[in-house]
Parts: sequence; C-alpha cells; structure tokens
Amino acid sequence: MKRAIILGMMAMLGLVMAQGRTVNLLWSGAVTGPTSDVGGPYGAGIEDYCKYANDQKLIPGVTLNCTVRDDQYQNPNTQRIFEEALDRAKPAMYLGYSTGAMLQLKPLINEVKMPTLPASAHIGLIDPPNNQYMFLPVSSYSEQVVALMEYINRTDKNAKIALVVNPSPFGRAVVDHARRAAQRLGQSIVDVREVGGGNLDNTALLRALDAAGAQYIIHQNVAGPVANILKDAKRLGLDKKIKQMGAVYTGGADLIRLAGDAAEGFLWASSYYTLDENAPGINLQKQLAAKYNRSADILNSTNYTAGMLAAAIAVEAMKRAAQRFSGRIDNETVYQALIGMNGPNAFKPGFAVSTKAGIEIDFTRTEQTGAEGLRVLEAKGGKFVPVTDPFTSALFRQVRNP
Amino acid sequence: MRNPWAQTGNYRTSYVQDTTIFANYREIVSVVLLLLALCILPMLLERSQVLVLNFILIYAIAVLGLNITTGYAGLISVGQAAFMGVGAYTVALSAPNLPFWLTIPLGGITAAIIGFIVGIPSLRVKHLYLALATLAFQEIFVWVVGRSPALAQGAAIPVEMRNFLGLEIGFRNHNYFWYYVILFVLVLMVIAWRNLLRGKYGRALIAVRDNDRAADAMGMDPGRTKLFAFALGAFYGGIAGGLLAYMQRAVVVEEFTLTRSVALLAMAIVGGLGTVVGSLLGPAFIEFLRLYMERLSEWMKANPFVQSITPAGVDVASALLPLSFGLVIVLFLVFEPRGLYNWWRLLRSYFRTWPFKY
Repeated sequence: MKRAIILGMMAMLGLVMAQGRTVNLLWSGAVTGPTSDVGGPYGAGIEDYCKYANDQKLIPGVTLNCTVRDDQYQNPNTQRIFEEALDRAKPAMYLGYSTGAMLQLKPLINEVKMPTLPASAHIGLIDPPNNQYMFLPVSSYSEQVVALMEYINRTDKNAKIALVVNPSPFGRAVVDHARRAAQRLGQSIVDVREVGGGNLDNTALLRALDAAGAQYIIHQNVAGPVANILKDAKRLGLDKKIKQMGAVYTGGADLIRLAGDAAEGFLWASSYYTLDENAPGINLQKQLAAKYNRSADILNSTNYTAGMLAAAIAVEAMKRAAQRFSGRIDNETVYQALIGMNGPNAFKPGFAVSTKAGIEIDFTRTEQTGAEGLRVLEAKGGKFVPVTDPFTSALFRQVRNP
Repeated sequence: MRNPWAQTGNYRTSYVQDTTIFANYREIVSVVLLLLALCILPMLLERSQVLVLNFILIYAIAVLGLNITTGYAGLISVGQAAFMGVGAYTVALSAPNLPFWLTIPLGGITAAIIGFIVGIPSLRVKHLYLALATLAFQEIFVWVVGRSPALAQGAAIPVEMRNFLGLEIGFRNHNYFWYYVILFVLVLMVIAWRNLLRGKYGRALIAVRDNDRAADAMGMDPGRTKLFAFALGAFYGGIAGGLLAYMQRAVVVEEFTLTRSVALLAMAIVGGLGTVVGSLLGPAFIEFLRLYMERLSEWMKANPFVQSITPAGVDVASALLPLSFGLVIVLFLVFEPRGLYNWWRLLRSYFRTWPFKY
C-alpha cells in the first residue's frame, strides 16, 4: 500500500513537472532595418508556427516559449540577443537570420554547441571551420544559382550569362561557384555586377550587359533591386532579348508586387511550394495566417513559408529529442535529433518540394542542407508557376569542393 | 596654505598649474573611485550585460578619436568606422602570427597611416567638401574589402584568442577578459588624449579649428596639424576596431559601414564634441537608448491595448527604434548642442558652489 502511494505521488509529480515544463526557442532577425521585407514575414512565420505548436501540443507535456526579437540587421544586436538568451533562457535551438551576423557568430555557436538554422543560405555557414552546428533549411544560394545554370543548359548550350549580385557576403557567395559551374557546362560568365537597394536607374547596367552579349541575367539579391532592373529592362525593350532569373529571395509575391507586369517571364529557383498548391504546409500556412489575422502581404510572402519551415524543423527536432532522450530537450539532444533526421526518419512537413527519392527535409552530421530539391518557377499572369519538376543540382557538389 | 581638499575656487598661480591633468585632489579621488567602480562592475553583471559594456567602451575609444579630428581640429569626418575597419582587418590578418598586445597597436598604426593619406584633401578643402572626401574614403573602404579575396570579400575572418598567459579564454570568461583589456586600453587612450591637449600639438589643433590663417600667422603649420589630427583620430579608430575584432571573434565588413560612422558621429554630438566625458557619455547614452527602446517596442507588441489603439497594418512599435535614434540627434542639436557633457558640467558646478548658486 505504502509503495503504491509513493508511486502514485511520484507519477503525479512527474505529470505536474511535465505539464509545467517550458522549452525555449529563439529567433532574432531584421524586423526593421535593411531586408526587413524578408525578416518581417520570416519572423511572423516562426511566431505563428510556435503558437500552433503550443495549441496542438506538438511536443507532449512541453510548452514552447518562442522568442522573436528584432536585431535591426545589426551584428552587435544579434550577438547581444544571442548571448542574452544563453545567459537567461538557455534555448534548445537558435533560429538565426543574416549572413554577416551568422558568419560572425559561427565560432561562438560551435563553442556553445547550439544547433542553429539561419535564414541565410550562404554556403560559408556550413563550410568548415566551426560549421558543426549550422544547418540550412533549404539548399544554399550557390546551389540554387548552379541549378539555374543547369536549367539554362537544358535548352541552350554555350549560353552567355551575367551575374547581378547584392554587394554583401550574401550576394557574393555565389560568384565563385557559378564561375566553376560555367566552366564545366561550357557557358561563359560575361560580367559580374553588384547592385544594392538604391538602384533607381539601371539603364547603364543593362546597356553594358547587353553590349557584353549577355543572354541571361542571374540575380542573387532581394526582390527590391531585382524589380527595379526588370522594370528598366522592359522600358528599354531588353526584356525580350535578355532572360532574367534569380535565387531564393529574388522572387515570390514580393517581386510581383514590386515589379508588376515587368516580372512576367522571370524565372525563380525555389524549394518552397507556392500558395496556389495543395500541400500540407501551405494549407497550414493559410489556416494560421487567417487565425492570427496576418495581412495579405504576409500570407503571400514566401518568407512567411520559410519562417514556418524553420520553426517546424525546430519543433520536430525537439519532439524527437524528447522521445529519444526520455523527455530531455536541450541543445545536445536536439542536435542529436537533427542529425538523425534522415532516411526513413526524414521530416516531411509539406512546405518544401521533395527530391526524386521523396525526401523533403533531411540532415546528417555532414550533410547540413535540409531541402535539397527545388523547382524553377516562372512568373505568368501575376503569379509564379512551376516550369520544372523538382530536381537537385547534379553539378553543385562537384563545384563546391573541386 | 589653503586646504587642497576643500578647494572651492580657482587658485592657480602659474602656467604649469593651469595645465595639470587634474584641477584638484577631489578630481583625482573621484577618478580613482570611478575606476574602482568600473573594475568591480562586471562582477555584478551577467555575461551578456558585460558585452553591452564592452561595446560602449569600444565606441568610446572610437569617439575619442573622432573628437580629435572633428571635435578639436574641426575637420568633419564621416569615415571613422572605416578607420575602425582598417584596424580590425589588420588584426584579423596578423592575429595568427602575433600576440594581441602587438596586433592591436599594429591596427592603430595602420589606421593612422591610412588616416594620414585620407587627410591629404584637408590641405585644400574644408567643411562640407572635406566631409564628402571622408565619405568617399568610407565607401572606398567597403568597396575594396568587398572585392578582396584576401579579406574574404567582406565575409567573416575569424579572430580567435583562446589562451592568454595560461588563462583559457572561452564562452564563460570571454566578455570579462576583454572588458578588462578594453578598459585598460581606454584609460591609456584617455590619458594620452588629455596629455595631448595640454601640449603645443593640442593647442595647435584648437587654433587651426578656430582660424587656420591666424594659426599660420602665429607660426603653426595648419597643413601638418590637419594631417596629424586625421592620423591620430584614425589611430584611435584603428585601436577600437582591433578590440572589436577580438571581442566579436570575427571581422565582417558590415560592422564598418557608413551607418556605423554616422552612429559614431551621433555619439560624439550627443556626448558633447571635444570632451572626454562626452566621449564616454555619448556611446553609453546611444547604446542604452537602443536597449530601452527595444524593450519598449517589445512591450508595445505584447500589449493588446497598445496594439488595439495603433493603426492596423503599421508596425508602430518596430518603427520606434529608428525613429528614436534620429529624434535624439535632432533634439540635442536644437536644444543642447553642447551635448550631455554640458549637463555634467552644470551638475559639477552645482556641487562645487553649493550652497551658493555661483
């Protein structure tokens, strides 16, 4: 009888402790400042998915304390917010943001062994040194640019390509890989230009690229500068002559909103499903945007999808950590859960397209890219529609480590 | 003999007395107490709070330099962040081969050389034109770093120091270790700054600022003085950049853009141009303003009532952060152009003359 009472009390205590347990998840990014057009919806996606995870009790017995903070795209702020969280909240996982800040935090992230999913897909984040705890939710900028070059090569051998990239580590990351890929594909990179957000008149740029014989322009930028170039290309009548395309943050609803009909025909490499498709993640996105009164701009933004995917990976890793390590959810167990997220244990939340093998998100200790599949989409009639089946760049892994 | 501890007026009778670093013993005691308090302070704070202090002290060193160039010599510079960058990149490149107590001064010296070169236009142009010349340097710096493979094209170059005289430096003590290093450097730089202004070179800076033709007539060389001001201001910037590189464990070009230069200029204006106290108060004020506005913004976002009265679709809370920064600068320029230093001066004056008004 005594033993039964003690066991009962222990069970009650365990239940109370389990119900009261809180696990912290941190995101800091540019809600204001440069690239806030990306950061705002991205942060909203994380916030909403966290609320959903708590509502649906996705991690049994655990309340997720999701902190979303504005670092204003300033690296000292990112460092302060991250270190503050290490001192106070001890997050089980960190969802980061900008390329520069993430590169700067790499040594610290490795030292404190914090599994991190940045919004930046700069390949340098998962390159050594100090890369053990960094994971990209979708394929890197470099991989997407190489995939676009492979797409061009399907129909046009010996193509002449110009690269227009952001004047930052985020933009420049792709240049070397693109050059190496061009060499292998028999293409030529006729020019590389850096264009920031203040590009109000791109006449000189477009004339110069035209004079250099560029048939294609591949952008690695955010939507704003790309939209301005597309509008100027249309004004100059070069839209029929030069085909334009871009990776990750160049396309989506933001580009169509900013460029209007000048966006028609723009090709975009993306790992995510579009809002018009019937995928579980996208359906959830619509449901959550309605539930939390998100504006149409946020709902339509692919960055809202991206934020949700990052949060979904984090929540799933926490859930698996709790299952595998008797309820223990911390940076160590979450890391183990993340690197075990592969093969039959791959994660399929339905935000990103699957590879031919049917895998959406998978990670190992050495393969730190989640969604390796992507599609090329084209802007037609005011929205992006897929023009290819999902594929994975065949060449990227060769040019990454030549 | 008057009791020096109870001195209430100016009893200086010689030029030597007039140029002492400290006016009286009370000042020496208060500085010693301040330094003791600064030494104890990190022991009372969390690791991440010490990080905020470190940023303030580093910016204070950079603002001291800016106060030589702009505050004393009157040469407007909007390139101080680029000088910090020169120091930081020098440290990043030399850190694998040299100890930190050599790399940081090396960063300062490299920045001083660059500062000397950047100062050359000041021999021919003044005011707005000179500001544009320094702005050009700021942009050239970012352009060059962004295109140099040796500097990782602006991406991160790790700057790690894991050991100092057998003391292992890691996550737990990194911020504390660098706090004391930065504080030590700052004290040295302040002493050097005060000494400079007591000597002929410091007086030449002021003379050239007030009227360079008159200074020339008095036998000073305005050209040399201006170049000296640029080199020395850049030296301070380079030292600050080197310290920042170690503290952040990596150098990224985004840290040294025009935005940072403008922020440093704002710190100098808010603190009070041309003053040591202002160089410390300005960075502290701007950094704490940022912190508290961030808290206010987060509180507003979490408060349903505040959200219900703000216009739908407009993120007022987030907009407060950049708004406050601009507003503070404008308000200081309009209502207190002498900066926080003037409040400090009035406070000191009140206690010095108490119970009398004057």
